[in-house]
Amino acid sequence: MELIFILSTLTGPLLLAAMGGLTSERSGIMNIALEGFMLTSACVVAVVSVATGNPVVGVLAGLAAAIVMALLHALLTQAYRIDHIISGMAINLVALGGTNFLDKRFTDLSRQGEIPQIPMLVFDVLAFGLPVLLWLYLKRTRGGLRLLAVGNDPDKARQMGVDPIRVRYAALAATGLLCGLSGAMIVTNAGRFTDGMTAGRGFIALAALILGGWKPIPTAVACLGFGALYTLQLQLQGSQLFGANLPSQFWNALPYLVTVIAMAGFLGKSRAPAGLGKE
Amino acid sequence: MSGRLITLILVSFLLVIGALMLAGVMPLDALSVLGETFRQKGAWTRTLRETTPLLIAGVAVFLGLRAGLFNIGVEGQFLLGALTAAFVGLLVSGPLGVILAVIAGSVAGALWAWPAGWIKAYRGGHEVITTIMLNNVAAFFTTWLVAGPLKAPNQESTTTAALPAMTRLPSLYSSPPFFLNVALLLAVLMVVALAIWLKRTVAGYELSATGANAIAAEVAGVNVKRMTVRAMAASGAIGGLAGACQVLAYEWRFYEGFSPGYGFDALGVALLAGATPWGLLPASVLFGLLTTSSTALAANGVPRGLNGVLLGLLIIGFAAYRYRRKRT
Repeated sequence: MELIFILSTLTGPLLLAAMGGLTSERSGIMNIALEGFMLTSACVVAVVSVATGNPVVGVLAGLAAAIVMALLHALLTQAYRIDHIISGMAINLVALGGTNFLDKRFTDLSRQGEIPQIPMLVFDVLAFGLPVLLWLYLKRTRGGLRLLAVGNDPDKARQMGVDPIRVRYAALAATGLLCGLSGAMIVTNAGRFTDGMTAGRGFIALAALILGGWKPIPTAVACLGFGALYTLQLQLQGSQLFGANLPSQFWNALPYLVTVIAMAGFLGKSRAPAGLGKE
Repeated sequence: MSGRLITLILVSFLLVIGALMLAGVMPLDALSVLGETFRQKGAWTRTLRETTPLLIAGVAVFLGLRAGLFNIGVEGQFLLGALTAAFVGLLVSGPLGVILAVIAGSVAGALWAWPAGWIKAYRGGHEVITTIMLNNVAAFFTTWLVAGPLKAPNQESTTTAALPAMTRLPSLYSSPPFFLNVALLLAVLMVVALAIWLKRTVAGYELSATGANAIAAEVAGVNVKRMTVRAMAASGAIGGLAGACQVLAYEWRFYEGFSPGYGFDALGVALLAGATPWGLLPASVLFGLLTTSSTALAANGVPRGLNGVLLGLLIIGFAAYRYRRKRT
């Protein structure tokens, strides 16, 4: 039972972030800024929760902040036509610096014990329910099909009367919302904000998305795999394996190493949405 | 389009001013703090010291960008290069040790970058994700080495022993408190070499062609896959060299938390440099100045994070500006 709790706590943020990445990349916007959205939300949740004493207000503020960042990414890539990778990287930089700034600025407040929290179960239910909902949405609704159409071929979508730009802004708002939830889940579990606390999980989520072939259910399975890896890492840290005592750094590096191996296609290949990065 | 650009710049400017005021520092006070700082020679030494790794790492990123690769892994290659250089420098002393350390550092960087290039070329995995993952692995790997096998036995903290005075890159010019290390000259020479290489050699041309349009390059007879792997390895070698120079010129040892993020700042340097390698020179000095400034402001209560925000906004503004020019 304890193990299931740990597994869900570690998998949840990955699931939420990966689904956020899915709506973005399926609409045609490459998104390496998931990490930045998560971090922004985590910081704002912590600061506002402490300031208001109300965790619900805190989480809502965090979600709003992440949505603003995501819409910024949409604005920069669509209206200003900045390279998607450059925009994502710049947003990650701004998020990393900005959250450090906010956190340090309100440092006396946020260091006073733990932030007020809403129960983790809420996040768990959302995280594990979401892939199924998203799958149904993409397959069964008009909005979902439009999203897929824009991501596959923006030009054809335009000819069919769907405005790709509009769909993309909506998709990125969803990305912000989901990554915001992910960040909120991370900070709720940790109890307080620390610099760079998302620790590359936005990128792991992206790797899971790629592994899952940009499809909700396979992506969720990949997230579970990474979550299991994190759990394994926590459980095995310091214990002996094959009679050798592996250093803790090895276990810490393991999820990242597995991601590299996964990216090499040794765990199965996948095809990207055809319109990814197109205007 | 230019109206949009002005909006972007204006919003960025207001954001920074607002952040300064939020931190309880009036913008004019901040300026006077900076004026005071840069009247001292020490600040210029620090700026040039910061400029060196930024410039070499900037060359590494620039080379990758030219080949159409986002080498975000310079941070990891920098760490590996630095650690390897410290290790070799401690084994072999004297000028020979310095040369061997530089070579070893470059090789380590190249080896660390190679998988990302290979995966990109032959397996279709995006280099941004693999290089970021390799950064994390590099951080843990070097920490383990410096905390265990390579740790100086008589030291409390996790660090290697210091290099002997013979095994360091010397100052080119020194009148205390102003110092100028050979490493900076080396960095500038690398920019010159890169500019000539890109312009005057077949390989340089093929690399640029690959980055500009991979399909056209392939049709014209360039082996794009091989070029991708080689460009990534070369970029990693230069990233490793940056780390080696940092050890040999300024730090003289490797320790836990060695890089404050030079590899990431180098991305900004390379993006700001624009179309030619020459742009790397002003861009790296600008970043050096920003780092020195944010250190001075941090002493006055402005959190360091502002630096990152500023760099991010700079990159966004410049990218938007370049697009605008391309269109008209």
